[in-house]
Amino acid sequence: MRVNPRLTDTLVRHLLNMQAYFTVGILVIIVFIIFIKGISNCSLSFMLTYPEDMGRHGGVFPAIVGTIFLVALSILFATPLGLGTAIFLTEYTKESLLTTIIRFGVESLAGIPSIIYGLFGFIFFVIKLKMGWSLLAGALTMTIMILPTIIRTSEEAIKAVPKNLRIVSHSLGATKWETTVKVVLPSAAPGILTGIMLSIGRAVGETAAVIFTMGSSLRLPTSLMESGRTMAVHFYILAREGISMEKAYATALVLVMSILAINIFAYYMMNKVTAKYS
Amino acid sequence: MLDCALKTDKLNLYYGAFHGLKDVDFCVYRNAITSLIGPSGCGKSTLLRCFNRMNDLIDDVAVQGTILVNDEPLAGIDIIELRKKIGMVFQRPNPFPFTVRENLVYGLKVHGYNKRRYDEILERCLKAVGLWEDIKDKLNTPAMSLSEEMKQRLCVARVLTVEPEIILLDEPCSALDPIATLKIEELMIELKRNYTILIVTHNMQQAARVSDYTGFMLLGDLIEFGETSKIFTSPADERTDGYITGRFG
Repeated sequence: MRVNPRLTDTLVRHLLNMQAYFTVGILVIIVFIIFIKGISNCSLSFMLTYPEDMGRHGGVFPAIVGTIFLVALSILFATPLGLGTAIFLTEYTKESLLTTIIRFGVESLAGIPSIIYGLFGFIFFVIKLKMGWSLLAGALTMTIMILPTIIRTSEEAIKAVPKNLRIVSHSLGATKWETTVKVVLPSAAPGILTGIMLSIGRAVGETAAVIFTMGSSLRLPTSLMESGRTMAVHFYILAREGISMEKAYATALVLVMSILAINIFAYYMMNKVTAKYS
Repeated sequence: MLDCALKTDKLNLYYGAFHGLKDVDFCVYRNAITSLIGPSGCGKSTLLRCFNRMNDLIDDVAVQGTILVNDEPLAGIDIIELRKKIGMVFQRPNPFPFTVRENLVYGLKVHGYNKRRYDEILERCLKAVGLWEDIKDKLNTPAMSLSEEMKQRLCVARVLTVEPEIILLDEPCSALDPIATLKIEELMIELKRNYTILIVTHNMQQAARVSDYTGFMLLGDLIEFGETSKIFTSPADERTDGYITGRFG
């Protein structure tokens, strides 16, 4: 029996709609629950005061600072390295055994569970290089962890830049490097920015790898060699050790809101860039 | 009067095993428009691209023979200087996805022009391509928002900014409508006073309308080369005759 194509079409359309709503729905529910559970304990003073009694009372100021430092440092390390790799793979080399190996390495790096990164960071940075539990060891571990994301997204973005733009740049007398810096990278900027945003999201939310390498000191980190705590780690410890679920949810709320803020800011920046050029 | 801005002597080019240009002896006369015609794949674009070494960007290309730029061997000219001296306009209008102004100052930045000269150069080049009145208040708008014809004019202006002597045009009108095509042709004739122009076209009427000299190519050979009026009225080679009368191609 032949299935009525119009009926199929209608059914599929509804099904696809439902799937899309379902995805957004889950996000809304998560944010909603965190909001309801966290809002009563979340205030400006919560964000700006130091925790007391292991976090049972007081605020999360050091964790916010710790998160910002860790994320900023890892992005600072990973972006030049990742972008450089992507530029090498796309602009400066032909497809060969070498690029296949590099890509395979990057893929594999992306597939490793974060706890393994934590363990590696602990053995290599914390113990072997004698960094101790520190912001630096945490940031370097995070750098390795987010590198694959930055490389892959940058590579895709660079590949999507039309070839004729490179050719016309050469025809105007530009060198390969000038072409890369002045034509290819600006054109690929939105895509590269997306990769950086994804990486920020990963670093902000990471716990396992951070606990192993940056430790979980509740003090405000004042140097690269000091231990510190991110919001995600703080949340994990508050909840896991039964210190305070209220404070844990409040922390989660701050975490979710800051990720949201970063994303909105990134979209705003991206729109500004693309609006100027197209 | 009849000196060659560009000259080739026994020029051969190979794409791997494919013999793309065969013993081509060719000359582009100064301050004139020379056109290259011929069916697709005859090597006319390849020959054009020899002059600013755009074939270098393709793997597996080997060039033999001599190319002279103002009687100087091309091989001895620094590639950046060469591409400054010989500008190129492409088949599809290809402005960078930046603003009009950024498109125009690109070459200036690359060749290290003094920033204070930017505005004066921009105005001169936009006037030369007849865009100044239309576009002077829109320098900071995206180049991609212009019409196709204006984009192509902008691309010509972009080439002019770095003060080339010779302009190569690779089927510059094939993406344009007939009216825009006529306007670009007028522009070429206007530019001839100050520049040497080599144009590749598959539009024979265009070659007949704008060019002073015409070369006909077939399968990598330059079959016939001479004054346009002669090529189109009394070609010496029957293959040229066959092509321009539409018997093949």
